[in-house]
Amino acid sequence: MVSKRFVAKRLLLLVPVLFGVATVVFAILHLAPGDPARLIAGQRASREQYRAVREALGLNQPLWRQYLDFLVNAVQFNFGRSYQPGGFGRPVREVIADTLPVTIELAVYGQLIGILIGIPLGILSAVKQDSLTDHATRIGALSGISVPIFWSGPLLILAVATPPLSLFPTSGRIGVGFTPGSDFTRHTGLVTVDTLLSGNLPAFVDAVQHLFLPSLVIGIYSTALISRMMRSSMLEVVRQDYVRTARAKGQGERITLMKHGFRNALIPVVTIIGIQFGTLLGGAVLTETVFGIGGIGTTLVAAISNQNYPVVQGTVLTFALLFTLVNLGVDVTYSYLDPRIDQ
Amino acid sequence: MDVDPLLEWARPRLRVLGTALAAGFALGVAATVVLPVVVGQTARVKTFAVGALLLGFGTLGWSGSAMAGRGIENAQRYMDTGSDWSEDDSRRAMTRVGSFGAGLMLAVPLVTAARG
Repeated sequence: MVSKRFVAKRLLLLVPVLFGVATVVFAILHLAPGDPARLIAGQRASREQYRAVREALGLNQPLWRQYLDFLVNAVQFNFGRSYQPGGFGRPVREVIADTLPVTIELAVYGQLIGILIGIPLGILSAVKQDSLTDHATRIGALSGISVPIFWSGPLLILAVATPPLSLFPTSGRIGVGFTPGSDFTRHTGLVTVDTLLSGNLPAFVDAVQHLFLPSLVIGIYSTALISRMMRSSMLEVVRQDYVRTARAKGQGERITLMKHGFRNALIPVVTIIGIQFGTLLGGAVLTETVFGIGGIGTTLVAAISNQNYPVVQGTVLTFALLFTLVNLGVDVTYSYLDPRIDQ
Repeated sequence: MDVDPLLEWARPRLRVLGTALAAGFALGVAATVVLPVVVGQTARVKTFAVGALLLGFGTLGWSGSAMAGRGIENAQRYMDTGSDWSEDDSRRAMTRVGSFGAGLMLAVPLVTAARG
């Protein structure tokens, strides 16, 4: 059982982490060259127009005042409106609400593929150490880690998504025949979940087909890493005295491995899964670009190159929040797997 | 003589925090007075932003040490790295970095207000 004190301590530590990230983001954006007021007002704006934009952005205030305002707004998750040449765009909260589910959906399915294939492969490889299965799994894992996403993505598209096979669509999240709002209602922003909740099975199948290839690309990398970690962790655990004792008592090999070995071998694998999931949320930019899916990673990259400060601040803080929450989940899972950890 | 346990706990921590804050404040005062003359008015903005950067990194480092420090210590011991890294040292160092940054940040508005 996970102690409440352990979880409360971890939750409390989120406060300085988020404060630190917010402060660093604020500082970096103010140290970076460029003038957002000039960007919004445009190069041909008069001095009065430029001054009016600066006032609207609060840039005429002293920096300490801007910092305090930023912190107060950040606590309420209010980052204002995004910038665009000639004026202000949509509220940042809306931009994040639209793009975050895209990335979460991709990361969750990719990670699911990684876990479902990687863990059994790692166990099999450890149990059949130095056999042909083990060698094949290890070579496969090494290839999966070594192949970059910007190469495996287009290669998969060429192999299964173009004629003669054309098994899967190559871009987007759902076919043009299905319109959000009329064909299915938006509940979560996760297109597979929304289509299912709306009871539109053809739309659900279409969404799964669209997400299969990008998830597989992420899944290949995850599978490689998880299976390698699982194998080495399992090999270490099966040499422990308590496993030998279980065998000496006459317990069957399967029960010994799954009951005594698996749970203990899972601890380092959970770390890798947690870290990787956090990284995937921010690092799915390449997959999103290759498959033409506009997620939060792509939004952040575009915002940085367009000096769209509010969107940068909002997305970075969202990443930090998600990353720390995932790590909290990992810690809680640790203490479930090994109750000594929260003592 | 009995010393208040809370005071005993707080004194070394406040000393670390105060020394770094004072050093940052002193440097911030110097930077706010001298730099605008040399490089222009943006110097105040940059001094405050550098202070914020240090405060942010210090806070992140401190909380990172508090979250994962014990694990890192165990891993170092397990791998027999022979490194002297410890959670306490890391937190102390990060407190210094963060407080120094806070001192810099504090100096800019105070000096600006004092000079009118």
